[in-house]
Amino acid sequence: MSQHRVIVVGGGLAGLAAAVRIAEGGTPVDLFSVVPVKRSHSVCAQGGINACNEVARQQGYSEYEHFDETIYGGDFLADQHPVLEMANWAPRIIDLLDRMGVPFNRTGEGYRDLRLFGGSLFKRTHFAGATTGQQLIYALDEQVRRYASEGKVHKYEFWEFLWPVIEDGRCVGIAAQDMRTMQIRAFRADAVVMATGGCGLVFGKSTNSVICTGAAAARCFRAGVWYGNPEMIQVHPTAIPGADKLRLMSESARGEGGRVWVPRKAKDPRAPKDIPESERWYFLEEKYPAYGNIVPRDIATREIFDVCVNQGMGVYGENQVYLDLTHKDPDYLTRKLGGILEIYEKFVGEDPRFTPMKIFPAVHYSMGGLWTTYTKGSYNPHTALTKHKSGSPAPIDAKVGQGMQLGAPNNSMTNVPGLYAFGEVNFAYHGANRLGANALLSCIFDGLFCGVSVLNYIKNEAPGKNPADALPAGAYDAVVAQETAKMKRLLEGAKPGNAADPSTNPYVIGKELGDEMTAACTVVRTESRLRQCQAKLAELRERFARVRLADNAGWTNQAFGYARSIGDMLILAEAIALGALERKESRGAHYRSDFEQRDDANYMKTTLARHQGDATTVEFVPIDASLILPTARTYGKKDSSPTRPAKEPAAV
Amino acid sequence: MVSCRSAGLLRPGGTTGIHHVMQSATASKESFFQRHYFLFRRLHSLTGILPIGVFLINHLLTNSSVAWGALALREKTVDAPWWVHGAEYFWREVRWLNTQIPNLLLIEIALWGSILFHSVFGVYYAMTGSVNTARYAYQGNWRYRLQRISGYIGILFIFYHVATLRWGWTFLVPGGTVWSQEFAASTLALTLRGGSSGVTAAGLAVSLAYFIGVTLLVFHFANGLWTAAITWGLTISEASQRRWGYACTGLGTVLMIMGWMSLFTFAAADPAKLREMEERMTQKQAMVSASPIAR
Amino acid sequence: MSTATAPVRRNAKVGRHVFFRILRCEGPGKPSQWQEFRIPIPENANVISCLQQIAANPVTTDGQTVTPVVWDAGCLEEVCGACTMVINGKVRQSCSCLIDEYAPNEGDVITLEPMSKFPVVRDLWVDRSRLFHNLARVKAWVPIDGTYDLGAGPKETPASQATHYVLSTCMSCGCCLEACPQFNLEPDSANWDTAFIGAHAISQARLFNDHPTGRELKDERLDALMGEGGINDCGNAQNCVKVCPKHIPLTESIAVIGRQTTMHAIAQFFRGR
Repeated sequence: MSQHRVIVVGGGLAGLAAAVRIAEGGTPVDLFSVVPVKRSHSVCAQGGINACNEVARQQGYSEYEHFDETIYGGDFLADQHPVLEMANWAPRIIDLLDRMGVPFNRTGEGYRDLRLFGGSLFKRTHFAGATTGQQLIYALDEQVRRYASEGKVHKYEFWEFLWPVIEDGRCVGIAAQDMRTMQIRAFRADAVVMATGGCGLVFGKSTNSVICTGAAAARCFRAGVWYGNPEMIQVHPTAIPGADKLRLMSESARGEGGRVWVPRKAKDPRAPKDIPESERWYFLEEKYPAYGNIVPRDIATREIFDVCVNQGMGVYGENQVYLDLTHKDPDYLTRKLGGILEIYEKFVGEDPRFTPMKIFPAVHYSMGGLWTTYTKGSYNPHTALTKHKSGSPAPIDAKVGQGMQLGAPNNSMTNVPGLYAFGEVNFAYHGANRLGANALLSCIFDGLFCGVSVLNYIKNEAPGKNPADALPAGAYDAVVAQETAKMKRLLEGAKPGNAADPSTNPYVIGKELGDEMTAACTVVRTESRLRQCQAKLAELRERFARVRLADNAGWTNQAFGYARSIGDMLILAEAIALGALERKESRGAHYRSDFEQRDDANYMKTTLARHQGDATTVEFVPIDASLILPTARTYGKKDSSPTRPAKEPAAV
Repeated sequence: MVSCRSAGLLRPGGTTGIHHVMQSATASKESFFQRHYFLFRRLHSLTGILPIGVFLINHLLTNSSVAWGALALREKTVDAPWWVHGAEYFWREVRWLNTQIPNLLLIEIALWGSILFHSVFGVYYAMTGSVNTARYAYQGNWRYRLQRISGYIGILFIFYHVATLRWGWTFLVPGGTVWSQEFAASTLALTLRGGSSGVTAAGLAVSLAYFIGVTLLVFHFANGLWTAAITWGLTISEASQRRWGYACTGLGTVLMIMGWMSLFTFAAADPAKLREMEERMTQKQAMVSASPIAR
Repeated sequence: MSTATAPVRRNAKVGRHVFFRILRCEGPGKPSQWQEFRIPIPENANVISCLQQIAANPVTTDGQTVTPVVWDAGCLEEVCGACTMVINGKVRQSCSCLIDEYAPNEGDVITLEPMSKFPVVRDLWVDRSRLFHNLARVKAWVPIDGTYDLGAGPKETPASQATHYVLSTCMSCGCCLEACPQFNLEPDSANWDTAFIGAHAISQARLFNDHPTGRELKDERLDALMGEGGINDCGNAQNCVKVCPKHIPLTESIAVIGRQTTMHAIAQFFRGR
């Protein structure tokens, strides 16, 4: 009897969780990652992971409210059932991580401590210092190392995913390349899980790691996998500027009491400490009295952008605002936020415990991703309920299987049978805007919950009768030939000195791509600018077709790897720009200054992008919003301006 | 041009996924040494303290009595300089050690066995390390390096010390002085001075060798005592390691002063006067021994 | 999109050029050679941003066009450990190495070398598989029953969490190994199980020996650490703790494991096996 195998591409939280779950279920896993899995981008997640907990529950919070917050936070763009299931699973996931040894911060009595996070009025975010993502991925990395030492998981580190092998309409393996030896080969698998994260590098400088090119997702997209909501790109309100990247300053800084402000006087030359309370404009607190500094990210970003760019009120006249923690006890800050404060101090040279941080928004996360399916769970009310009143009793309990059916083979499966998308590369959970500390949750949830789906697919569907092992080699050879040809074309004429021509230099093309996408497709979008962007992308594609490398080495050729990714990033960029152009409304992270209102009738729909031949098309397909009725997403906004001081100091 | 380090694990076409962990490699394949690796390492640590360290303390205490013995001597029968009185006290100490310690031979075997073991394994272990004080010039790293240097030089010194004073390899001693147990003080003084006619250049060289040898061995012991506390898990926290460091520095300083005091005193003493004292003491002892009461 | 400015540190000269001397090697077994690049320094520059500049247009000081320098990098915020290299003779992460601090003046020189304790893949990129292999040697994990919903983990005091959290921030960068005089280059993976395991793995053993469930494997971890290449191969030079970018008390961990192995040996002696 032939042995089934599963390939997991990506060694971040989603990939590792999937590998553990699938290996545990008895199917060996081949785990591919461009970096040693422990160095995946998940390590950068700082703030925490959301879940209903006993303390919040006894204050009226519930898994259902977590679900409601996530839908509302995502501006009603997500299909609602998967989100419900994720929220219901959250407490179980925290328990599991706890058992794996994640050093969650503790209360005096020894229970898991909680902090406040964006989009919620309850403390529901579990955290391990300010490096929660790092701690979570380490816990999963350890479990995978355990399985690897038992031979149940085989890691292919420094191997890059190149293309899915699709045969008879289902995914039966991948082609991958060892980025040290440059060997390209095909791997058979009965199911392939893509867990390849986001695409921050499309925007040049972002909060993402240098590996987050989105190339893997783009390759699937080019191979016929559908892409959902490409235009939904989260710009994080608080990041530290740098020459190589924009380093994240976690939302937890605001969750722990950090206040965002600018001087009420434009270009005030005084040092922040010399500016009295009455002359500081705490614009988030004044505009959003209930949520204050912890309004969701898209809102905070737009407000900061507006204050700096439109009103010219940035600190010292620059594009920056203060994120102030200096009113908090320094020891408390060290205990709760040590990791991120250290990053700021290291890279900026000022101690944020004593000097307010200067921050500005940066591209952070892709809500969009490969389009996936699911099987609805058992909760199906006759009519959708109105928005949940915060703190009121939940209409349902949190039993498993109400949102999604546990083990249904199509959960988080793309339009290509056997090809799954987990984690950030799955478009499913965050709608038009992700709430802080929900990303870690969605990654692990996908791995654990949908890992079972993968096992069932192998057992009960096509691979059960016709395992990949027994398939003819033709499809695999064809993909290897295709990728080898691609490599040959890129290395053609490669030699030192080629870099001198900027029009065909991949690094220059990459930089221009990033600059263009940041200018056109981030905080504020307009039709004219997007069209300009499309023209620029066309130019870049034309130049990429002529790209010339400065390195012709057949060994560890990094320039080649980068250049190849640029080709894929360009395709993804086109989808992002096209989605942004076609979605003629404003929703969540997608803000069109020429269409400022949300338009539920036409656009409470998934942007479905397809790539065929050489063209990308989008259409809008209905979502399932049968659980909660959409409402205006205001977070209780009020008017405020720098010249009209608030009557009383805003609540912290 | 230096050659690039080869990456043996990077075989073209191979993968470098996790290597299966060897389940405590099959016992039959392991050598006796490998099977008892921990025991050997800890014995190496232990022997440095017991008996070698304890002997070192005792040895330096006895030898340094030449410098402070005048203060401890109960009755001074002759009128002489302080160092002659000190040497008299030293004579008595040596005699006491040689006659009163039970099973001296067994103790010596244990001691020499320990030194041999500690040396052989010490050199073997030291060979596994490398030197990087140029790049990482931390105090701890320098002590790591010095511990190994002092070990190597210490072995040579002990060999010379024993070969010349015990085994009578007089060709290594300037002036060909034969060290003898009854005349330990005077012959040692002659050795360190390079003969009976004042201090010679060769004598100075021997004294210098002794100075370096004693200094390094005392450092080796004190620093070894400090690391042993970590090895055995007695000092855990950085603070406790620092405190124990002070203690070891204190002990090392005291031992160092004792070693230097004995060296300077012996090297500065007039061998003739010492010889005079030794003959007087030997005679006196013979008389006491001959007396029926003494039996 | 961000144009916010950070203060220029230590009065570093604006608009200056800095020389980068980089030890290059085309691949395993190939010769190494130094190449020098003259780089204009923008604001907030770090070694990574300078390497990015070199990659985009690699021309040496003497005008020779060369291949782009290869290096390993990930998060660029000193939390993934990938970009570790030897800078001006000392090991550290290149992302957090700010040019304003290292080369504040016109014409200052920064040298970049690959880590010396791991086989070079190409240029500044080394293969650190052994580092991860050594984590498996000490079974650095909590042996949970499975990923099922079985309730919460053990309670823990804030003080104990604080201790464990620091140990758990080890990002496997390898600084402690590069600086360790007892940890040597070992390209042959057949010898990895008997070569010195390194401070990082010893510290992880301590972390998991201290976990209520992780403790289940304590004896196995200690057995592994008592063998050749284990805890006894530590020479107490204590460079590890000095170069650890995460300030992990590695020497404390070494002492703890020293104590645990002592007690384990005594227990074993009397309990027999």
